[in-house]
Amino acid sequence: MSSEARREPLIEVENLYVYFYTYAGVVKAIEDVSFTIYKGETFCLVGETGCGKTVVSRTLTNIVPPPGRIVKGKVIYHRDGEEVNIIKLSEEELRNIRGKEIAYIIQDPSAALDPLYVVGYQIAETMVDHGTVKDFKEGFGRAVRLLKEVLIPDPERRVKAYPHELSGGMRQRVVISMGLSNEPKLLIADEPTSYLDVTVQAQVLDLLRELKGKKGLTVLLITHDMGVVAEMCERVAVLYAGNIVEVAPVDELFKRPKHPYTVGLLRAVPNPLTEIEKLESIPGTVPNLIKPPSGCRFHPRCPHATEKCRREKPPLIRVGPSHYVRCWLYAGKGEEVSRSE
Amino acid sequence: MADLKRFLVRRAVTFIPTIIGVTLITFIIAFVIPANPARAWAGGIKADPHVVATIVKEYHLNDPWYVQYYFFMKGILTNSIVDPLFNYKVMSYMLARFPITFQLTLFALFFLIVLGIPLGIISALKKDTVIDAFVRVWALTGVSVPIFWLGYIFIYVFFYMLGWITVAGVPYPKVHITGIPIIDALLSGDWTTFAENIKRFILPGFTLGFAGIGIIARLVRNSFLEAINSDYIYFAKMRGLRNRRVFMHALRNALVPVVTVVGLQFGGLLGGAPITETVFGIPGMGRAMVQAIFNMDFPVLIAGTLLAALIFVITNLVVDILYAIIDPRVRF
Ligand SMILES: Nc1ncnc2c1ncn2[C@@H]1O[C@H](COP(=O)(O)OP(=O)(O)O)[C@@H](O)[C@H]1O
Ligand code: SF4
Ligand SMILES: [Mg+2]
Repeated sequence: MSSEARREPLIEVENLYVYFYTYAGVVKAIEDVSFTIYKGETFCLVGETGCGKTVVSRTLTNIVPPPGRIVKGKVIYHRDGEEVNIIKLSEEELRNIRGKEIAYIIQDPSAALDPLYVVGYQIAETMVDHGTVKDFKEGFGRAVRLLKEVLIPDPERRVKAYPHELSGGMRQRVVISMGLSNEPKLLIADEPTSYLDVTVQAQVLDLLRELKGKKGLTVLLITHDMGVVAEMCERVAVLYAGNIVEVAPVDELFKRPKHPYTVGLLRAVPNPLTEIEKLESIPGTVPNLIKPPSGCRFHPRCPHATEKCRREKPPLIRVGPSHYVRCWLYAGKGEEVSRSE
Repeated sequence: MADLKRFLVRRAVTFIPTIIGVTLITFIIAFVIPANPARAWAGGIKADPHVVATIVKEYHLNDPWYVQYYFFMKGILTNSIVDPLFNYKVMSYMLARFPITFQLTLFALFFLIVLGIPLGIISALKKDTVIDAFVRVWALTGVSVPIFWLGYIFIYVFFYMLGWITVAGVPYPKVHITGIPIIDALLSGDWTTFAENIKRFILPGFTLGFAGIGIIARLVRNSFLEAINSDYIYFAKMRGLRNRRVFMHALRNALVPVVTVVGLQFGGLLGGAPITETVFGIPGMGRAMVQAIFNMDFPVLIAGTLLAALIFVITNLVVDILYAIIDPRVRF
């Protein structure tokens, strides 16, 4: 990592709350989440399924699906020296950002593509609708080059293939090429490999890393896999039941994990390069967020929980230069802050 | 292309048992009816026994059922069987009525498409509003209201009370190109005949399409809702596509199943619409069939059944081909 002083923020999420207004009740999916993504880094959001990673990523272009709503907080986007709050933008302004300045790669590449159109058309339309190519003819030409860039063999032919004619790994490469097509400032990859075979997973991660190096991309990588974190990221935020419980540079987190949940996550991965689906070392499951546990949301599963943990929400504590943890165990062992970076 | 050819051959082979099955069932129903067709054809109770005997011999009425069936089918297909009551060739008679039925079906199809599809899209976009409820009620009414009642109500309102339309008769243009009056009128620019045809067919077409409009609208609504809630539409929005393009993606996907249903409805209606044609006095295949039933005119009945079955399997085939064209996942 380069020197702290030169780091320039690209996205700053401040004290964000996202609720889903369902028939069963209000799902408090995200509460008081803050983090910063710096230009040029790969920032990781990690946590079990259902802890809110996808919802957080969608707040960055304010595209949380109904009945979800951002109820509080800010998403500051540093756009050419200007600061814009994403939450305040109009639909049309957001549309201009989505897919152009902030692009997504989603989990299931098979469902992401329209089955009735050839992939070249779908890559091209992503550029045509943002005015980065003048027409579909130029768009198809660019699509061929993009497919080559994501290492799809025989791109001249594949550009005319329908999604069902490609393998899962190939489809994910197509989705990645769409994400890259407008040269975004931020690429959000939401579990880009979890629907792929293990061998293909490694290839796709390699590709992402290589593209990142080549283009100096800023990446927000979402995963439930600590092995992927170790391999890909510079800084990590650990999410649990809609709260950020720990933020740290990757080696700091692996060497000195503070939060009991992070410790559990790492214990589930004896070797960070093996794949783990379930976190058996932490008994229990992610709680129902309509009635989240009082105090610390992790207390029902925490081996160190005390009466205080059950009653009061723990503060966010800065335990090291870039290391933040939300846990009563560290009260008094660092400076209390209102948001993490 | 080779695939298409193989597909066509395979399907054509399955046609034959379908057609034989349908006509055979009709024939057997006619055969077991405890009536004496020969006497009915010869003039009823007072029929001359000599004439009756000739008819029995001519039409093989005393032969076993399979001989009769073979005789009828062969006569119809080679257009050699002559109607015992009216002295015309049965197949020519039915084929001459086909353009009228076709024209009526075109009108019904027109309403199915221009009302059914937009209503479906609107009720999907305005889900759970008054419009959505209206379409729901329409669909329910459409399938539960008897078509003859609807037809008479429409005639009462639009013909008798308002006088907006004309009933009965089919005006033909002078030029004969396809045999379908409204299309020939259009092709030859005979606007008076064109307008007259519209005036006569608009109401029966709407009546015939009425049930289908509601069904199509509901189908479009549900398949459009499914499309706009799919991952690829969400991802299209995440890519920042323009609203119009996102809409087109959803629409095209939503219409895939609709093409099948519209096609099948079209094929079903083309076989003749007995009730609508009778209520509105349209001289199509459906009305011919109804009259044939009253007259115990079995040759016409079987010819009509054969034509309806043929038309249905052919439209089915066309629908399948269309389906493969619009949905690249479908292979022959
Ligand atoms: N459409 C929705 N309706 C209701 N609740 C939702 C919806 N989408 C997400 N949530 C809530 O948000 C939580 C986080 O979901 P998500 O961000 O998809 O988790 P992750 O990506 O970490 O697996 C879920 O556990 C659920 O409670
Ligand atoms: S605050 Fe208490 S319950 Fe929560 S993680 Fe820390 S020790 Fe466990
Ligand atoms: Mg997710």
